[in-house]
Amino acid sequence: MSVERHELLQEDVGAYVLGALDDSELRRFEAHLEECPVCADEAERLRPAAQALPRSVTPVAPPAALKRSLLATVDAEARERAGLSPRRPRPLARVADRLRTAGSSLGNLRPGMALAGACVVLLAGVATGAAGLYAIDNATESKQPRAVSRTIVAKVDKTRVPLGSGSLALPADHENGAVLRVHGLRPLEVGSVYQVWVRRRGEIISQSLFTVGEDGDGAAAVTDDLKGADAVQVTREQAGGAKAPSENSILTVPL
Amino acid sequence: MNRADDIHSLADEEVMRLVQEGNPRAFELLYDRHGGASFSLAYRMVGNRVTAEDVSQEAFLSIWRSKARYRPDRGSVRTWVLGIVHHRAIDALRRNLVHERRRSSAEGIEERHEAPERERTDVEAARREDARHVREAIAGLPEEQTRVIELAYFGGFSHSQIAEMLQMPIGTVKGRMRLGLEKLRKGLAEKVG
Repeated sequence: MSVERHELLQEDVGAYVLGALDDSELRRFEAHLEECPVCADEAERLRPAAQALPRSVTPVAPPAALKRSLLATVDAEARERAGLSPRRPRPLARVADRLRTAGSSLGNLRPGMALAGACVVLLAGVATGAAGLYAIDNATESKQPRAVSRTIVAKVDKTRVPLGSGSLALPADHENGAVLRVHGLRPLEVGSVYQVWVRRRGEIISQSLFTVGEDGDGAAAVTDDLKGADAVQVTREQAGGAKAPSENSILTVPL
Repeated sequence: MNRADDIHSLADEEVMRLVQEGNPRAFELLYDRHGGASFSLAYRMVGNRVTAEDVSQEAFLSIWRSKARYRPDRGSVRTWVLGIVHHRAIDALRRNLVHERRRSSAEGIEERHEAPERERTDVEAARREDARHVREAIAGLPEEQTRVIELAYFGGFSHSQIAEMLQMPIGTVKGRMRLGLEKLRKGLAEKVG
């Protein structure tokens, strides 16, 4: 890593996390991240702060027509995939809803002109969609995950961790253990940790301890081979871990 | 498990798996859980309901058509969905589809509705509490840092555009973004700690 390059680019990390770099700067900074663990760590540290911003937004109810339109499209496409004759959604239905309800200037036009206007709106949407997909695919597929044979979703005690969720990624070779990922767990006070257990034929075996970040996300290794195990469980324990669970598990992955 | 009977009790990750298998009922549940937050974010960014609808529709259809793949190791489903909406809204803003941009301000948003997601009361209560924590953490930032962060995230402006708008050096804008995010991170940690 070039120190000069790091000093030149390190100030970009905030703009990067906020999506505020221009295209050429973005490419330059992403190339820098590949070779600079300091900036990569800082980006990962700041990302949850940026991801928290939408959670501050004042709730606004979406129009019912949006859900109707989405479900009509989705149902039609699902029927097509299943080889059934699709009940095609009326593509202009939502636009027509808008013309009636949104006070659009098109609403005052004759039907033929309004239809032409609606088509322009639809074409613009298609063009926008195609360009947008490229950015999302790039953003989500830039790093390939380790090959896993399957992922099992955890059952969560929603009375104690209402926003919690989690999943266990089992590698293709069971010998190397699995990784448990959690989201939406509350960071614990100092002196407490989350503890991972494996339950096998009535026996419960400690695996690892973990904490979660400010965003409630965390990950832990499951070191045992899980062949023949009944479940992976998580409890909250005192720092250093417990010899046996002190509470019913807040999160359970059935195997 | 009978998925048709129990689908509403599934965790988001499992719902996403069903969506990617092409299950329309799972997609409806995903929308019911996150459509409200998605539309709210889009509306906050683009400032009008019509474009917010477009943005939300494009985002959810890209999820349905598996153009955007969810990966559990990158965060929660909600964070992922909102990230897609954010991308779409920035696309819309930068393509000048919105003529009257709302410049990163909540002013004028008079419509306040009940929480649109159909979730259990304890989940809604936890989300409201979480939203309050985030707002308090943002309120704890110096005004000049809040401004550049909101212009970037909600306004979709690049740092060079913000520097021009606020008539300040680009380095200052970048520094305020970085410092502001670091303070916000610490503020959020204190709120939930």
